[in-house]
Amino acid sequence: MSYFFQLMVSGIVVGSIYALSALGFVLIYKSSRVLNIAHGQIIAGGAFIVFALTVWVGIPIVLSFLASLVITFFLAMSVERIFLRRLIGEPIISVIMVTIGLMSILDGVIYLTPFGSMNYSFPEFLPTTPLSLGGVSISWTQLVGVVITAILIGAFSWFFKSATLGISMRAVSDDQLASMSVGISVPRVFGLAWALAGLSAAGAGAIIGNITGLNYETLRAFGIAVFPVVILGGLDSIIGAVVAGIIMGLIQQFAAGYVDGNWGLNGTADVLPYVILLVILLFKPHGLFGTHEIERV
Amino acid sequence: MSANRWFATGNFYTTYREEQRIFVTHLDRLFFSLLLIGLFAWPLLVPTSNRNMLVINNILIAVVAVYGLNLVTGFAGLISIGHAAFVGIGAYTLAGTAGAIGESHVLITHAWPLMILASGCMGAAFGAFVGLPAMRLKHLYLAIATLSFQMIFSWTINFMTFFNQGQMIPVGRVFWINGPVGRNEHYLFWYYVILVTAVACGLGVRNLLRTRYGRCLVAVRDNDRAADAMGMHPGLTKVYAFALAGFFAGIAGALHTYMFRGAGFESFTLHHSIIYLAMAIVGGLGTLPGSLLGPVAIQILELQMEHLSEWAGALLPANMNLATAMRPLGFGLVIVLFLMFEPRGIANWWRICRTYLKLWPFRY
Amino acid sequence: MKRFHYRRWVVAVAVVLALAFTVPVQAADTYKLGLSLAITGPTSDAGNPYSKGVEDYIRLANDTKILGDAKVECPIRDDMYETAVTKRNFEDFVDQEIVLFLSYATGANQALAQDYNEVQIPVIPASMDKSLMAASKYIFLPIASYSHQYVGVAEYVAANHKGGDTPKVAAFIHPSAFGRAPLDDFKNAVAAGLKLDLVEVVEHGKDLDNSALLQRLASKGVQYVLCQTVQSPVATLLNDAQRLGMTAKTFGEKGKITFMGAHYTGGNDLIALAGTAAEGFHWTTSYRLTSEKGPWTDWQLDLAKKYGRDEKTANSHNYANGAMAAQVAVEAIRRTLEAGQEVSRESLYATLNQMSGDKAFASLAAVGPVSYSATDRMGVDAVQLYVVKDGAFRSVGEPFKPKYLK
Repeated sequence: MSYFFQLMVSGIVVGSIYALSALGFVLIYKSSRVLNIAHGQIIAGGAFIVFALTVWVGIPIVLSFLASLVITFFLAMSVERIFLRRLIGEPIISVIMVTIGLMSILDGVIYLTPFGSMNYSFPEFLPTTPLSLGGVSISWTQLVGVVITAILIGAFSWFFKSATLGISMRAVSDDQLASMSVGISVPRVFGLAWALAGLSAAGAGAIIGNITGLNYETLRAFGIAVFPVVILGGLDSIIGAVVAGIIMGLIQQFAAGYVDGNWGLNGTADVLPYVILLVILLFKPHGLFGTHEIERV
Repeated sequence: MSANRWFATGNFYTTYREEQRIFVTHLDRLFFSLLLIGLFAWPLLVPTSNRNMLVINNILIAVVAVYGLNLVTGFAGLISIGHAAFVGIGAYTLAGTAGAIGESHVLITHAWPLMILASGCMGAAFGAFVGLPAMRLKHLYLAIATLSFQMIFSWTINFMTFFNQGQMIPVGRVFWINGPVGRNEHYLFWYYVILVTAVACGLGVRNLLRTRYGRCLVAVRDNDRAADAMGMHPGLTKVYAFALAGFFAGIAGALHTYMFRGAGFESFTLHHSIIYLAMAIVGGLGTLPGSLLGPVAIQILELQMEHLSEWAGALLPANMNLATAMRPLGFGLVIVLFLMFEPRGIANWWRICRTYLKLWPFRY
Repeated sequence: MKRFHYRRWVVAVAVVLALAFTVPVQAADTYKLGLSLAITGPTSDAGNPYSKGVEDYIRLANDTKILGDAKVECPIRDDMYETAVTKRNFEDFVDQEIVLFLSYATGANQALAQDYNEVQIPVIPASMDKSLMAASKYIFLPIASYSHQYVGVAEYVAANHKGGDTPKVAAFIHPSAFGRAPLDDFKNAVAAGLKLDLVEVVEHGKDLDNSALLQRLASKGVQYVLCQTVQSPVATLLNDAQRLGMTAKTFGEKGKITFMGAHYTGGNDLIALAGTAAEGFHWTTSYRLTSEKGPWTDWQLDLAKKYGRDEKTANSHNYANGAMAAQVAVEAIRRTLEAGQEVSRESLYATLNQMSGDKAFASLAAVGPVSYSATDRMGVDAVQLYVVKDGAFRSVGEPFKPKYLK
């Protein structure tokens, strides 16, 4: 039985990291309907910035984590300003293509640094002995990761519910024309969405980097791993991203725990999320929490 | 219609039939014929190298695949992030058969046109199957359904021993009238096969778009409810768009397998799906010339960036990663800048050129 | 409507097209090799130092006149781990009349094996997959195959396990042919009498948490986990084992799990990724490591220093890997010249095949001599076991040859 609970706890931990990774993705889609293919690169970039500040500059890790959030906030904002601002009003597919190009550019930038081809790991700053309860264990790194995820998601929820800027972002995602007419600057909102996405991606990157070590290939793969999560939750729902992230984490852990090795199957954790995704989409075409679009001729 | 069908300045259509002609003026037809003759004749006049023929064949295979992607994404408006998997289905139909009956079985080496066609049909079958969710799903949700297919495809190929767990399955050399095609003429032979296929597929697509089925696709893209109200079946139309995409992808896959003399799963990953999408978008979605220009542009750009980084590597100090980074950096920058200034793709230039020529010598 | 400068574009397109199909002119009196590998994309963490190793050794050969007045040239191309690009590079190199091809990935080599046979060009790959030798007689593995390394680890377990019971092992492998291939040889070895009990085969995904897996293995009494994959998943596994307190401090510690692996699971990259969790990880390869002092260490570090490489590259075993591949190629050219023959694909192939017995080539980079013959095209037959101690790989015992594999 403790095996089951371990799988569950691990699943929730992994899932909350997925949720945080997916958050940035949802933010961009919610405001500007753009599918950001370069998300994995931003996640990796965030992790590398934290490492560079901590190890090469020598700032305490907590400060460098916060600093990296600020840096990616402005970096992502400038990416939007430079590359995407011109494309407002152009076909969405062109904008998606620009994010594909952006992916290549960020690849290039990261290959300029040693991170492109070298592996690193964060210095240990948390106790290595795990917290254990009745045979179920969770490491400090994971616990801190979950806490940070919870804080960030809580902050985002508050922001969208209560802050004026957050409400204007929601207004833009609802109806761009109407929000323009009440004086909201739509381009600014897009910029802010990218900035917040960058911030949350950096947070996710730092946490994943602490768990897996800093390997560029591993980190950028998370850009794709969030796809099933955001679709399951509904592309434009923050709460959906959280719930779906945790569901995905659980599915993966249970698949690895109970399916693998039986019936000659193996490595199912990588494919099962997509299979389940397909099945769920057949019944809920807008994901669990996505907005049902009302279409008119 | 102006009396002169060679130099018509402006539109002179009086019937729908005239507007739907493949070649508006005789000049168009002449240019097209000259282009075709040029494409067929140049390898006989200019000395070719294996490497250059490989590059050109690769571009032409991508053209065939992008016809399909452009049909489903450009004309029918259904984003597909799993196109490489359909290409893979075609490739593995051929390779799987070769693995089962032996790589130099008569079916593989002599009946290769049949095998290519069969691979296309298999691609179409899978396309239709993957297109089924399109009955309910829309927009990006559908895109992700195709992504799921891509992932499931990769996993299956990697897992099943029948597909050699994703490792290379060799396919034997084919026979032509005068015996087996040897290494020296391999690329040239396949150049002609692929060229013929690409031209045939292109004409096929062009003609399809003149029929009600082609117009159905566009109508469903623009507004599927309106299309429904006009008596079309949006769900079926989407499924058949996917089937068509799968067909072209399957043919491209079989050609790929024959030209590379085997199939391994590395050529059909998500990365390739994204590259196909890039080709279609850069070329220009929803245009036929776009399907031709996109693959040419992307592949030549990649080659140029390789040249650039090699050149940079010779000049820059060796301990810097700049030369390595130059390729993805340059590639991305060119694409992003291009789309920032021309979001509608290269085909838009083509359109502008044609409009200009059509009205020439008058200006607008 | 913006004005459309079509003439300018026509010129630009023409220039671009012209550039795309030009081939660099070759200088006289140089022997040309070609290297195509993944400097970016998947496995680039291994490919990048590998390319630098090749580049530096070729420069060293030219600078120190190993070939006398003759020069050797080796263009390096990035194929992003894509078979199609590798094939393009190969055809390009063949058009440029290279005499020996340095290749990289297993998949690409299998795809090109037929071409190697037809062009009859000797090939030294970076992949040590055993199946490559069967695929083409022109492929010369520089060191012991993955299978040899993997079975080598297993034999070490069987020989050094304390206690009367049959040691229980689990295999932790990459979900691809790369991971599965050595497993078959391992199973054959067990069938042939290797005293091991294979309890479970785990094909890993991109898991962020392996707690459940480790607990399951522990409950089944698994004492040794033998890995055949790349560093990153092993690092995650080791991290999880460390925090669960399952990692054996010494080899075969009772009630704990000893983690071991073959070539691409280890190296300094693993320590970089896993930190202190890598302590006690056992690893086999055929290369000498810079963490163990010796003449080879100085040689490798000097080479890297001479051409201004950073410390991480200098100490990478993949750097040694690349340097040695180039070294074998240059040595083959040198011997061919020494014998008074013309350097060509055929003569190099013959020279490589004669590199056996007292003619075996003793490279400083590996733990044994590189020896090839018509029946055995695996270079260094011996493997060396290393273990991580205080953040560095230290050798355990002497180099040995796996008994259960030919």
